[in-house]
Amino acid sequence: MIEHNPLYQSMISAVSQTLENMAFTEVMEKLDRSYEIPTEELVWNSLLINDPVQGEIRLAMPKRVLKNLTGSIFGINDEEITQAQMDDIQNELLNTIVGLFLSNLFSDDQEYQMGLPESGREELPEIDANTIVWKLMTGEEDPLQIFAIGASLVALKNQ
Amino acid sequence: MKRIIIADDSATARMFIKRCLQIIGLGDAEIIEAEHGKEALTAAKAQDVDLLLTDLNMPVMDGETLVKWVKSSPKLCDLPVIVITSAGNPAKEAKLLKLGAHRVLNKPVSPPMMMDALAEFLDK
Repeated sequence: MIEHNPLYQSMISAVSQTLENMAFTEVMEKLDRSYEIPTEELVWNSLLINDPVQGEIRLAMPKRVLKNLTGSIFGINDEEITQAQMDDIQNELLNTIVGLFLSNLFSDDQEYQMGLPESGREELPEIDANTIVWKLMTGEEDPLQIFAIGASLVALKNQ
Repeated sequence: MKRIIIADDSATARMFIKRCLQIIGLGDAEIIEAEHGKEALTAAKAQDVDLLLTDLNMPVMDGETLVKWVKSSPKLCDLPVIVITSAGNPAKEAKLLKLGAHRVLNKPVSPPMMMDALAEFLDK
């Protein structure tokens, strides 16, 4: 289901622009909304939004997808890729996505405050009622998921 | 040869910026990489620098604070500063320009954006 509220579309636009510019890959919505990235394959990171709403954005993908993106962006072979490089790529992707998302969502005169991205070390937390999930895929049909968590952030979908 | 400081806590972001600089003809510039504002400020004070490119969201010292420190320093106040950030919008941009930043670019930055921002430095 494609949602047309500004919150939803702001994120779609942000992810598309970021992946196209940084990784030269298009992004589209995954039609199979029941798809879940297997836990054992999943890597994720998160970034807090502190102002004017409070919330958290998480980016999740299979480790092999992150490895491919890292190799593509850095222009290096699989064997040369380090965990630090993969973490850094994922953090910079999330940082750029969230910046564009907030820029798309809020008016030009609205300042906003973001935290620094952090790599998730434990299992991805369970989602609750105050969560919106975007299930996306790249042009190569690799899955990506974005989560927006927090009541004041999620409430913006009704604006 | 130009000497340019790139301040960003992300190695990926620094790589993208360096790549943009190479594409627009500044590939032979000496690049000094800093992971945060304090490191960039130390490097700028220690040697003659032609340009400072800085992110906003960084640990230890953020980009806005770095701009304030640079512009309040007698030695560094004329150093051109370009902010490259994911956390920019017109309100933030106006604030940074008022603090003395030369330009504010929004991530993801592209070679044409960099070319436009650095046009006056490319001719010198």
